[in-house]
Amino acid sequence: MGPIVCATRGGEASRRTQERAIALAREREAPLIFLFVADTNFAHPSNPALAEVLADEMERLGKGLLYIARTRAEEQGVSAEMVVRNGAVRQAIEAFLREVQASTLILGAPGTGSEKKTFSPGELPQIAQEINTTTGVEVIVVG
Amino acid sequence: MLEEQLIAVEALVIVSLLVASIVAIAVRRIRLPYTAALVLVGLFVAVEGDQLILQLTPGSSWILYESVPEFIQSLLDFNPEFILALFVPPLIFEAAFHLEFNQLRSNLVPILILAVPGVVLSTLIVAGIISISIGLSLAVAVVFGALISATDPVAVVALFRDLGVPRRLSVSVEGESLFNDGVAIVIFNIAITAAIVGSFSLVQGIAVFLWVSLGGLGIGAALAWLVSRAIIRIDDYFVEITLTVVLAYGAYLTAEELHVSGVLAVVAAGIISGNKGRQGMSPTTQIVLLSFWEYGAFLANSLIFLLIGIKINIAQLIPPFGFIMVAVFAVLVARAIVVYGLLWLTRLGRGEGHVPMSWRHVFFWGGLRGAISLALALSLSTKPIPERGLLQVMAFGVVLFTLLAQGTTIQFLLKWLGLAEQPAHIVAREMQLGRLYAAQAGLSRLADLRHDGLLAGDVWAGLRDEYHETSSQLSQEMIQLYVRHPELEREALLQARREALRAERVALSDAFRQGLISEHVYRELTTEVDRRLDALTLISEATILPTTSEA
Repeated sequence: MGPIVCATRGGEASRRTQERAIALAREREAPLIFLFVADTNFAHPSNPALAEVLADEMERLGKGLLYIARTRAEEQGVSAEMVVRNGAVRQAIEAFLREVQASTLILGAPGTGSEKKTFSPGELPQIAQEINTTTGVEVIVVG
Repeated sequence: MLEEQLIAVEALVIVSLLVASIVAIAVRRIRLPYTAALVLVGLFVAVEGDQLILQLTPGSSWILYESVPEFIQSLLDFNPEFILALFVPPLIFEAAFHLEFNQLRSNLVPILILAVPGVVLSTLIVAGIISISIGLSLAVAVVFGALISATDPVAVVALFRDLGVPRRLSVSVEGESLFNDGVAIVIFNIAITAAIVGSFSLVQGIAVFLWVSLGGLGIGAALAWLVSRAIIRIDDYFVEITLTVVLAYGAYLTAEELHVSGVLAVVAAGIISGNKGRQGMSPTTQIVLLSFWEYGAFLANSLIFLLIGIKINIAQLIPPFGFIMVAVFAVLVARAIVVYGLLWLTRLGRGEGHVPMSWRHVFFWGGLRGAISLALALSLSTKPIPERGLLQVMAFGVVLFTLLAQGTTIQFLLKWLGLAEQPAHIVAREMQLGRLYAAQAGLSRLADLRHDGLLAGDVWAGLRDEYHETSSQLSQEMIQLYVRHPELEREALLQARREALRAERVALSDAFRQGLISEHVYRELTTEVDRRLDALTLISEATILPTTSEA
């Protein structure tokens, strides 16, 4: 069975999304990969040097968040890999799913908190459907 | 004779500071803006002859001070050049010194929109309304429009700090005020010349505006660069503080002497020394220096707003009350058009510097007027401008209205907009972090005492266990908080990285001072650290939204 990929960015839904991924990996005895996409498109820095360190700092943040997620999985007896990718979130996720021949993608649907969302709650089901159509990978949205 | 005068000045300054302290304590209980309260108190105090009197009701007055020295009388007469030269450098320098480059940069678009085209537009709108309504000549009306367009957010920013308003909003409001003070003064001087000469050339006006503004900024930047270079090589906070005082007043006086903008010179000096100069300071110096300038600004604010209150005579405002209301209306209309109209342009950008609608309401109602407007109005006394008495009274009226009506109600607006309170889980995290930090500092101190043999073994063991238990409990509570609000983990990571980068910067300064690295390497490495801090600010802003209602 292909690995379960849990895409996380440390938002308000991240904890329950990761818990769901850990539970599923244990239940299906499938490998688990936590994925963080360092997408710097939000900033448009005009200074190339700033763009470079921005990508680097995003990667550091991603590694930190993934480390916490992996520790959480290990505490529950599930080993997990952590992967950081660069680029636009959706494209990077799709490319990674194909690369590792994933069986399942788990995404979080944030609540109504004050933080910015990668995908708006309204468009998330449609995006999940499109990723499923494009890659053939099962997509679970954790609300 | 001179000695007596000096002692009298000293006594009067002490009385003023005592009043300021009492007001500062009182406003903590009633949540009135400090500066508004000082003006209110000042309204009941007046100078009659050489006596300082307290007048609570018409006909009943008490002498507070006899034989007020001429020096103080001239201060109370608001010699405008003197007021500006004495009070503006500490006020502007302190505010500019606090502004971080990265915060300023990410808010530069709205700040510059409000401070440059905003002030020009506000001047013209106010001038148009009062010229049509009151019948003043357009040239004279433009003088009033310019002097009343400089905002003074002292009262508002103090409230922001108390209420925990988003830092980006506070920076934008402070940044706008810093730059629009300078711009308003430049336009005011051009308008005065045009009103006196009776003609105005747009091309020449723009050329003078650019020369005076850029000249002021250039002088301030150059002096700040020199002082920052000196500070990097010194590790003595008395000398470093003294150099910043020399810089603040020196930039102002040098620029004024060269007929360019003194205010903008202080703005540039404050921002550059607060960012570049501060990199070369030890943590102790930074703490002492920030406290010094905060106190300097407190003193300047206390005295100037008290003086404003003393200077404004309520009876003087009654006959032209209708004109004052027209001026207040014109100022509010102009502010609304500038804030809601011009800030709309920030939506056209790529998301950088976008100002949410709720923040625009704060910009509108928080656009108080204060010291600069009054000093400019009073400077009209020495200029051959028609209707200058009316312009002064209207300026007093507008300042009084903004301080007492807007300054006292802005807190309700902030609460209504949901900007006054941070989300409960963020406050809870700060609280836990603060307690944990304090507990660990306490434990560390006890360990030192034990190590030095100053604490008995059993006392140490008992207290240590207690502290360990507290720390462990707080850590558990923090974990529970992260379970309920996982987004706090991301914020904790960003904060930790920020702290680490700041420590790296301090270490680089130490390495440079000790001669371990050359200046070239020091500059290159600190620039990279700063760039990384900028990147973290961008990441924070991209992931966390203020609690606002969007347009």
